[in-house]
Amino acid sequence: MFFHWLEKNPFYFAVLISIVISFAGLLEIVPNFAQAARPLTTETPKTVLELAGKNLYVKDNCIACHSQMIRPFKSETDRYGKYSLSGEYAYDRPFLWGSKRTGPDLHRVGNYRTTDWHENHMLNPPAIVPGSIMPAYKHMFTNLADIETAYAEAVTVKNAFFTPYGPEFKKTRAAWEAHRPKVLADAKKIADDMKSEDVKKAVANGQVPEIVAMIAYLNSLK
Amino acid sequence: MNALTIKALGFAALLIIATIWVVMSMDIDLTDRVNAIAMGGAIAIAVITSSVVVKYVNQMKTDTATGELVDENWDGIGERTNELPSGWAYAFLGTFFWSMWYGLIGYPVDQYSQIGEYNEEVIAHKATYEKKYENASPEVLTGMGKSLYFVQCAPCHGNTGDGLSGKAHDLTTRMSKAQVLDVIKNGSNQLGYPMGMMPAGMASGQDAEDIATYIAGGLKGEAPASYAACTSCHGADSKGNSGMSPNLVGYDETLLTHTLQNGKKGIIGGMPSFKTMITPIQEKALTAYIQSIAQ
Repeated sequence: MFFHWLEKNPFYFAVLISIVISFAGLLEIVPNFAQAARPLTTETPKTVLELAGKNLYVKDNCIACHSQMIRPFKSETDRYGKYSLSGEYAYDRPFLWGSKRTGPDLHRVGNYRTTDWHENHMLNPPAIVPGSIMPAYKHMFTNLADIETAYAEAVTVKNAFFTPYGPEFKKTRAAWEAHRPKVLADAKKIADDMKSEDVKKAVANGQVPEIVAMIAYLNSLK
Repeated sequence: MNALTIKALGFAALLIIATIWVVMSMDIDLTDRVNAIAMGGAIAIAVITSSVVVKYVNQMKTDTATGELVDENWDGIGERTNELPSGWAYAFLGTFFWSMWYGLIGYPVDQYSQIGEYNEEVIAHKATYEKKYENASPEVLTGMGKSLYFVQCAPCHGNTGDGLSGKAHDLTTRMSKAQVLDVIKNGSNQLGYPMGMMPAGMASGQDAEDIATYIAGGLKGEAPASYAACTSCHGADSKGNSGMSPNLVGYDETLLTHTLQNGKKGIIGGMPSFKTMITPIQEKALTAYIQSIAQ
């Protein structure tokens, strides 16, 4: 019988087994991937300030305690809002889904927290949420966010992955200098809602403290 | 009954006694049904294990192989042409039919979705929830409001509702003097009341101070003369003209609904809209709870 040949040729046997098994994978993964991995039509890429905040989210390892993925369970949508769709992550590089919820999910935190809440909370979390074990992030009020790298990232993903940033995103210093006031204007909007005079002063001087970028990013999570 | 059976029965008895001893020493309540079932299960496992072992060990002593040897052999290990044991065959057929049913009828591959299941669950929950709490008593509503408050409101307004010493609106009183002065100075058009916008600068100087002190004090005693400017919209009793404008005395359902739907930005900071997070019954519940903590 035909399988006698297969039994004597383990290599081809293994190849055939792989083909048979991966068939199920192809059937389940490929159609769904083609549909669901596209960005939602309402999805816009993050602004440069928000990107700088995202980089801080990565740098300070927020992902170790916070997820960004609301599963379609009533208990989750009651607390965090609508369940997450894969198209919402299309512009995320890297994905920040997370797998551990020591703290709450943050995927729609922009819907139910405000700039001034984040400001108070980052300074001293247990004062706002009794029993919270989140550490304070006071350094964010003095350290400056790297908006230049964030701009470079925007240009890179635009060129490499066709992320829809406008034509003004170019790989030149002049383009960055032209875009910089927009970032500062976004930062000023956040700083206006904040109480810290030092932060307001820094933004007025053309600097962007980390906390401003971080809050811009958190507010953009909707 | 041979020696092996006796040994096996002895072993089973030993297992059962050991289990009972452990259960007794752990002070487990056997009148509880779940514990009793677990205990029965443990005894059953001991008995079944022992008897199965006895059956096959006895069988191995005398059993001989039946059926023809097939031609192929692997390193001297051959195979006989026996039928599949009937139990296996039926189990295999059963699995086959069950998987056909599962994939084509029960949970069709192209028709099931996680989101669909979620939607059905939410619709079913909403229906029973709304029916159950349609005419809920004030105590039930206050209890519901309390748990909602701790999930959605307490992160900003604090567990006691005091607004965490000025970091959010203090829900134990209606408004502070600074808040009233801010609204008088800047006007307000955020809550979407039918009366519409409150213009900026309705009063100023000492008049504004008097009004703010009067409202922050809970509208007790004689109203200052300048307060007449407020009553024309907020009503003679300051309770908001039956829902036309915000109630200045306390928290009523209209005020809660408008604030939760629209959010608000004031002198303290911003409150986002909770439009998608809170249902009408939950708004009623939150009103009941907030009224219960307001002084």
